Amino acid sequence: MKILVTGANGFLGRHVVAALLARGHRVRALVRPAARLEGLRWGNPVDIFRADVRSGMDLAPAFDGVDVLVHLAASPAGGEDGQFATAVTGTEKLLGAMARGSCKRLVLASSFSLYDWSRIRGTLDETAPLEEAPDLYERDGYTIAKSWQERVTRRFAEQHGWDLTVLRPGYIWGRDHGAIAAMGQKVGRIHLVIGPLARAPLTHVENCADFFAVAVEHPNARGETFNVVDSEGERVWTYLGAHLLGTRQRGLRIPVPWRLAFLLVRLGYATVFRRNPRLPHLLVPCRFEARLKPLKYSNRRAAELLGWRPPLDFRECLARTYGSPPAPPVIALGTVGP
Amino acid sequence: MTRPALKAALIGAGQIARQHLACLRQLPGVELVAVCDRSPAVAECAAERYQVRSWFTDHAAMLRDARPDVVHVTTPPTSHYRLALDALRAGAHVVVEKPATTTLEELERLLRGAGDAGRALVEDYNYLFNPAPREILRRIDSGEFGAVVHVEVLICLDILGPDGFADPNTPHPCLSLSGGAIADFLPHLASLAHLFVGPHRRAEAIWTKRRPSVLPFDEFRAVVEAERGTATLGFSASSQPDAFWLRVYGERMQATANLFETRVTFDRVRAGPKPLRPLFNGLEEGRAIRRAAVGTLMRKFRGGPGTYEGLFELVRQTYLALADSSPLPVPARQVLEVNQLVSALKPRPGAP
Repeated sequence: MKILVTGANGFLGRHVVAALLARGHRVRALVRPAARLEGLRWGNPVDIFRADVRSGMDLAPAFDGVDVLVHLAASPAGGEDGQFATAVTGTEKLLGAMARGSCKRLVLASSFSLYDWSRIRGTLDETAPLEEAPDLYERDGYTIAKSWQERVTRRFAEQHGWDLTVLRPGYIWGRDHGAIAAMGQKVGRIHLVIGPLARAPLTHVENCADFFAVAVEHPNARGETFNVVDSEGERVWTYLGAHLLGTRQRGLRIPVPWRLAFLLVRLGYATVFRRNPRLPHLLVPCRFEARLKPLKYSNRRAAELLGWRPPLDFRECLARTYGSPPAPPVIALGTVGP
Repeated sequence: MTRPALKAALIGAGQIARQHLACLRQLPGVELVAVCDRSPAVAECAAERYQVRSWFTDHAAMLRDARPDVVHVTTPPTSHYRLALDALRAGAHVVVEKPATTTLEELERLLRGAGDAGRALVEDYNYLFNPAPREILRRIDSGEFGAVVHVEVLICLDILGPDGFADPNTPHPCLSLSGGAIADFLPHLASLAHLFVGPHRRAEAIWTKRRPSVLPFDEFRAVVEAERGTATLGFSASSQPDAFWLRVYGERMQATANLFETRVTFDRVRAGPKPLRPLFNGLEEGRAIRRAAVGTLMRKFRGGPGTYEGLFELVRQTYLALADSSPLPVPARQVLEVNQLVSALKPRPGAP
């Protein structure tokens, strides 16, 4: 199949491209005009289509001959408006272009952050409730943008009769991306581990990329939504310890009971901080919960419907992340329009 | 009898629009009836977030169907003229983000259109309504400051990061303005100069480029001779930390404010031994700076409009004036004179 991948040179994107190539697919990589492609490890020819989904340029040529769109482009950094422009306005423009062509199949990278963490107890799976207005607008800009991106994509898919698969990864980690928000608060060399026994919904970037490749191919994935996690979650205390060891940082981990920390955050938010949504994330209760709430996670649905198991276990993931760096890059890039 | 609420609508639901919407939502006597954006998701999201009654992607349809009393134009600057003119022709007052237009000719046509229609055209000079300039004005009005001799305004702001004006992937709309991204800040500089020393007589500007980027210029300095004094204006993309310095020099007092924070200090002529004046002024200034530092932190923690408090005040006063048919906080003459200075500060044709 010919697959168009947006955000192809991002942290997840470059691994998704590699996973698709490894399965024998042809890939067209949509990357921003100023994107630097040195250091990518794609061993087969990849068409490069340079465009910014936020711009007014015609994106229809990017879909020429494409069977499946894998839409990863988003902006986890930057301000709220930048995130919204990339994830939502960019998606409107991209899918508008797709609607003018013949491609009918789409895999969207959504996010775990869409869930309404305050209403979830026990195990978080695909049946968990999503955050809705007005509470959605107390969440961070990334969550607002990803929520609207999924909403817009579902509308397009419904309107045009496309086969849509929505994947919601947990924390995607890997080489040079080991730090995650679930680690708690760092103050100098001290790490306040809030809820040390809590589990973090982790998916190693290579496992996550494999899931995307499976979702592209598997007929059971059509019309479905999956959470992407490697396991029921790794203990935050253990993960942070491995991260500090792997990055050779000398840090001191101090456990803070989750319930106590959450009580203080709620108290401060309701009194001193007067429900100010512009506070640091860990001082806003709903964002605190979305990052740190002790829950379990499940990939049972992926196993049942797709037969998916993460190819790498946690030990292998640690080795890939913190072990010796991989072989030097092999690049073979072609170019198509514009 | 209760006065009917003024119906407000907004075109362009991006970053600055959120401040307008947050302000309008909490203003008494205002009903948010419509929001419009070319992106359906942006328009619908803004309507959902700020509980606006309806949303549109076509401003003509919005003006026709929602029939607003006041339209806020918060799109990129190049579209302000056409949208503001359409809103005025539809019988609405207009609050337009700065810069109101890309040329002085367009601004003059807009003001004529507003005058002919008996409607208001208010450009957002939000920093004039921040507490620091208002405190300085209060001291000028009370006579303790003495006549203003000179005003300095210098904005130090890193606009060369990849996520904003200097995005190498998508040209920022402001890059099409004469002067590029800095032109977006000229109304702030010009409106503050105008506030303290009045309409300009002549102005000389220097536009330069210090660091490689997609911006045509990243440094700007100007000297202005005005009716009541002089001004020096500047913008630096390289000087750090970010700050918005306002210094006003009076005959008996000098004021220094950082408009990105709550800091405002005063030096004054004191009675007593001359050698002790620096000591007393320094102690007083130290106290004021400490108070302001705590105030700025508390402002961040407690929320509210933050550095946009001036916008909230300007919008509040504008709606009060429109409701009472009383003088506007930013009258048409002020908009014209500020834009005449902005025009005089722009790079001359043929400049690099």
